[in-house]
Amino acid sequence: MADADSQRSLSALLNGITQRVYHGNTEITEDFLKNELYPGMTQDEFRVLHDKMGSLLKSIASADMDQAQLEAFLTAQTRKQGSSGLNSDQAAALGRFWKAHRSRVRESLVAQSHWEPGLKGLRWRVDLHTSASKGTVANNPVALVELEMGRTGEKSEFVCLEFDEQKVNLVLKKMAELQESIDSIVHRS
Amino acid sequence: MSYYFRLGAKSNLSADDLVSRLSQFSSVFSKPTLQLVHCLWTEHGPILHSQQELLSMASIGQLVDIQWKLGMAVSSDTCRSLNSPFISVLMKIADTSGEASYKTFEMTVPQFQNFYKQFKEMASVLETV
Repeated sequence: MADADSQRSLSALLNGITQRVYHGNTEITEDFLKNELYPGMTQDEFRVLHDKMGSLLKSIASADMDQAQLEAFLTAQTRKQGSSGLNSDQAAALGRFWKAHRSRVRESLVAQSHWEPGLKGLRWRVDLHTSASKGTVANNPVALVELEMGRTGEKSEFVCLEFDEQKVNLVLKKMAELQESIDSIVHRS
Repeated sequence: MSYYFRLGAKSNLSADDLVSRLSQFSSVFSKPTLQLVHCLWTEHGPILHSQQELLSMASIGQLVDIQWKLGMAVSSDTCRSLNSPFISVLMKIADTSGEASYKTFEMTVPQFQNFYKQFKEMASVLETV
């Protein structure tokens, strides 16, 4: 019973740290976690546990550890003496947690590494411009494209562009080159 | 009717003007319909007109050139093992006065796939229109 409770609390602690560090949930403070999960612990004791779990999680996330690397890492940690070492409960909780949350944490880290404005959205429509010149009527189809660009959490910039068939083909030609490049990397890796 | 609503919004027609044009255009619109239009237009017409003005002010540019770069984010201070491909795009845009400006943005590979797909669809629609 005590073991299950301890596992649950550790799991919740790791979840709370992840929410704050990797998913931007700043409401989940150290104090909040202590009061919710370890009300009986002293402030100092909790700080040691919180910092240790946080630092180990950071190492695991930074190296994007796979199963083998994780096991080796956790084993090494359990062999350490003193307060910086891990007990088997803590090692088990970390192992389970990383298995379940690895891809989401990685997604968040990758997103955080994008500093330039990103493409948030793309909308388009095709209009038919009817123009008359000396009595002749020409139907010119034209694409209107609205690009939404910006950084996460910041106001978007909207850029509206007009494309005729020739311009669209220019974009397609460039994108085809880019696709080739991407494919060649995939083949090499 | 939507033609006249658009005309009304663009030309800032009064409710009376709009209703008189509608009734001149066709006898299909009954008196109660025209009265309803009059009432609605009095309430909403001015807002529609100011929206139209805003739309015409937002300039539509022309793409002059587009360049791309495929990069790999190897490592960062928060993640030593990032290994994440990204695409950087640089667009040269000419505005309605001919002045050139540059816009740059990044895309992930899935975002690029969608971008490419949208342009292919656009090309196909332009061909068939």
